[in-house]
Amino acid sequence: MPANERRIKRINKKMGAGRGSLSQAVNIPVLAATLALILFGCLAVWSASLTISVASFPRHLFGIVLGLAVGALMWRIDFRALGNLSTALLVIDLIVIFMPFIPGLSYRANGLTGWIRVPLIGLTFQPVELAKIVTAFFMASLGAQYHGHIDTVRDYAKLCGMLAIPFGAVVVAGDLGSGLVVFMGGVAIICMSGPRREWVLSTIAILIGFVSLLLAADSVFDSLLGHDVLIKQYQMNRLLVFLDPTADTSGAGYNLMQSLIAVGSGGFFGKGIGHATQSGQGFLPEAHTDFMFALLSETFGFLGAAILLILFAVLIFSTIRVVHRSDSLFLKLVGVGIIGMWTFQIFENIGMCIGLMPITGIPLPFISFGSSSMIMQCATVGIVQSIWRTRSKAA
Amino acid sequence: MDAQLVVIVAGAVLALAIIGSLIFLRGYSGRFIFDTKTGTRPRATEGQGNTVDLSLKGRLKLLTVGVGAALGALAVKLWSMQMVSADYYEGLAEQNRTRTVTTAAPRGRILDRDGVELVTNRPALSLAAYRDLADDPLVVRHLANLLGVPYISVMRSILDYNQSAQSLHTIAVDVRRSTVAYIEEHPAEFEGVHVVEGTERSYPHGTLACHLLGYTGTITQEQLKAQREAADEGRNSSGSVVYESGDIVGQAGVELQYENLLQGIRGERTVRVDSGGTVVAEAGEVPGSAGSDIKLTISLKIQQACEEAIQLGIEAAKRAGDAADAGACICMDVTNGEILGMASFPTFDPSVFIGGVSNADWSVLNSEEAGTPMVNRAISGQYMSASTIKALSSLAALEFGTYTATQTTNCVGWWTGLGESAGKWCYNHAGHGIQDLRLGIVNSCDSVFYDIGKAFYYSEDAKDGLQTVFKRWGLGSACGIDLPGEAEGRVPDAAWKREYFSNWSEGDRAWNPGDELNIVIGQGDILVTPLQMASVYAGVGMGGVEYVPHVFLSAVARDGEGTAVSYEPRERLRAEVHADADLALVRSGLEGVIYEETDSITRHFRDLPVRVAGKTGTGEKEGKDDFGWFVAYAPADEPKYVVSVLIEQGGFGSVSALPALRHVLGALYDAPDTAAYVGGDQTR
Repeated sequence: MPANERRIKRINKKMGAGRGSLSQAVNIPVLAATLALILFGCLAVWSASLTISVASFPRHLFGIVLGLAVGALMWRIDFRALGNLSTALLVIDLIVIFMPFIPGLSYRANGLTGWIRVPLIGLTFQPVELAKIVTAFFMASLGAQYHGHIDTVRDYAKLCGMLAIPFGAVVVAGDLGSGLVVFMGGVAIICMSGPRREWVLSTIAILIGFVSLLLAADSVFDSLLGHDVLIKQYQMNRLLVFLDPTADTSGAGYNLMQSLIAVGSGGFFGKGIGHATQSGQGFLPEAHTDFMFALLSETFGFLGAAILLILFAVLIFSTIRVVHRSDSLFLKLVGVGIIGMWTFQIFENIGMCIGLMPITGIPLPFISFGSSSMIMQCATVGIVQSIWRTRSKAA
Repeated sequence: MDAQLVVIVAGAVLALAIIGSLIFLRGYSGRFIFDTKTGTRPRATEGQGNTVDLSLKGRLKLLTVGVGAALGALAVKLWSMQMVSADYYEGLAEQNRTRTVTTAAPRGRILDRDGVELVTNRPALSLAAYRDLADDPLVVRHLANLLGVPYISVMRSILDYNQSAQSLHTIAVDVRRSTVAYIEEHPAEFEGVHVVEGTERSYPHGTLACHLLGYTGTITQEQLKAQREAADEGRNSSGSVVYESGDIVGQAGVELQYENLLQGIRGERTVRVDSGGTVVAEAGEVPGSAGSDIKLTISLKIQQACEEAIQLGIEAAKRAGDAADAGACICMDVTNGEILGMASFPTFDPSVFIGGVSNADWSVLNSEEAGTPMVNRAISGQYMSASTIKALSSLAALEFGTYTATQTTNCVGWWTGLGESAGKWCYNHAGHGIQDLRLGIVNSCDSVFYDIGKAFYYSEDAKDGLQTVFKRWGLGSACGIDLPGEAEGRVPDAAWKREYFSNWSEGDRAWNPGDELNIVIGQGDILVTPLQMASVYAGVGMGGVEYVPHVFLSAVARDGEGTAVSYEPRERLRAEVHADADLALVRSGLEGVIYEETDSITRHFRDLPVRVAGKTGTGEKEGKDDFGWFVAYAPADEPKYVVSVLIEQGGFGSVSALPALRHVLGALYDAPDTAAYVGGDQTR
């Protein structure tokens, strides 16, 4: 039996690799890629901080330190026990998502929503970043109970319905972008849980129909009710300028156009630190957060962007390997959820900077300025390392 | 796209997808289990778990492919943007951060033929601000109070969206030094207000030749639109100036006619800006160059004489009890069409147009009550020619044989050539006695010309003889002077009358003897401009050759050295003369007007070193005092100059127009009139 042979091989390797105790406990490629990405992010944030006063480099470093600490903590935790706690996870998930609405915790400033201020220490934080991970655990705990094969369409529908709860909650809480991240992570988990291919295809077809109906009906509802319902006008505009970036380049399409110019004008080697005009002279809005990639590729060119993509590829493919090597179906699914969310965040964030995706406010993992995102991404890497550490059932 | 249609289509897609899924999924329905605590979930993964591993392995491969595809798509798009289209985006980025700000260049000066400045530029201080001053309403309000203009109009100037955001927006031009000093003493209160040194038009001789010179003003929206349309059709010549909103352009007279030469070429300043439009660096500057100076054919001395002449004429008319209030005077070189002086009264002050004319001023300038001072009566004023036409009427009579050189008429003051009931007065009710054609011209005897008119009216083959000759000598069509707004005048004939009075009865529309008798002495419906009469008399003096009148002499090259463009005299027309003897008779008659008709005319010309030939005229306009004419050329035997004078409501031409004409001739030949003007000179 090939599976047995492989297991024997693995045991032999484990026995022969006694001196490599570090690589037993830590997956080196994942760690290396993560650290490289964080360093690259530091470089980008530092170059942004030269011209954008809000992009405080020390704050970024603080986020990294905190993130590494949280990540190390995660690494030491054995998450397998969580596999039985799906109901508790759902409750925690919803509490986390609606935290910004809890009086005393919610923090609003400069038109920001979705933030909390942790009492006593005064640290501000975006709970939705945490919710992304909790949701991955929740969906994994549900998916794992089917043992890799969802036999009935009712089970499949139930799983889909369970995903709709955190997704809907995040959207209702006012963050469609993060909702989509949660959704894509959940979708990856469901697909890995073993549904029949036909069900998945049917679901995709229904979703496409539903979304197009929503988009089309939006303007009708708006005009019937006299105010903005369902999809907000700015979201509709983002979709429209995504379809035609040259329309309304001074209004709704301004961000996209400026981002395209920033990326495109970077060329192969980039303009160099301090010479980026688009991000440096303020043409590119949100250059240090959502459009960090545009700043990065204007400064470092195609070379920098390609290195970034390679680092992401190393990170994700190594994580897939970690997942592959894990013995716990629950942790496999958690890992798959993390991979799904990473992939979507990267694709969406970079895609929107280069006109492949409509604009949403999603930070680029490890690169964008912002502590919440940095801490949670480090925590995610910690979880991946924990999966690696506890990969064999016996451990 | 129609929203409702989209809703229907999307709904249909959704319904189809659901139905399809249901059909597809039929038979897969199993037991629905939600409870996660109990039930079928096998917790242990070993043993039968091999299948899990196997199926997951396949799916993980799929996941790997998916991730790879996503990253690959990003890489491909990045390659196309950063490697293939990098130049395009670089251009856009460059365009983003550079702005071109134009700097004004002074207009060329306008000089007289001897190089004396008629229009020049003077330094002027103006106040300007960048658009962001509008964010500071306190300063704007303060400034509005200081300037004494409404807050909203200052705001509008600052915000002017027709100008680029990086250029200074002019708030007020030609600001008093004291105002500027106050602003400069209180920099804190007027932060963001810039004092700009520029140039404005200056008129050293005030209203002199204002009609001819014209004025300048901010380019109008219509002019900008016309320019855009021309550009769209590709009609703009490559070298022409492209105007921007706020540019100062010629709006009338020479300023308008020779705008292309006078307009300077703007300088350009390239600046680097940030996203807020704030200038962060200078990137280069191309200085502007001033417009060309142009020289006119006008002689300051003659021009002044023409202006004074109208005043003399008006004063003389007023002494005689006429309501004279306006006039025109032209002096032209008959040998090449150069206009030496061209005056029109009332005048306007071209400096009121600096910095924009107010609506109130503009309506006064165009009102009847103010005497429509904007009208250049010398070229746009259309009047009855009165007796000045008799030179041409005589030529027509001789040519078509309706009156011969030897024929005579006995003028008794009351002409009854068409019967007693249709009798007409000669202006001299006492009668001129027996007159031949030459004496008819000399004494302006209407009876002689009534006979001519009658003969033309009843002539078989020369019914249009008068009109033919009038038109041949250039009446009824523009002279083609290089100034905007020239009128064509009118030579009435039977066809014109039918057309013009189209709502009259058939009988009243017909050309009748009275019409013929009117035009033969230049009354009734005939209309001429003072310039046309000058041109006709130039032709008479030159044996039929009339030159195109012009005011442009040459343009000085932009660098100030040498002549760039100069005017080549062109013949306007060469009127065919039936017989030299005819013209000699008329010229002799015109000389007789000056030297034979009456001593009250003659004595004013004795001081002149040259002999003069000319004709007075008195146009009869219903409800108004008569319009006085005098057109003459000198020297009589070999003409060099022609002078044409018209005084509106000046009464007899020999009363009002004579002193004016004599004044201009005096200036031409440095021979001021010494004879006194006495009342009672009443010849036409």
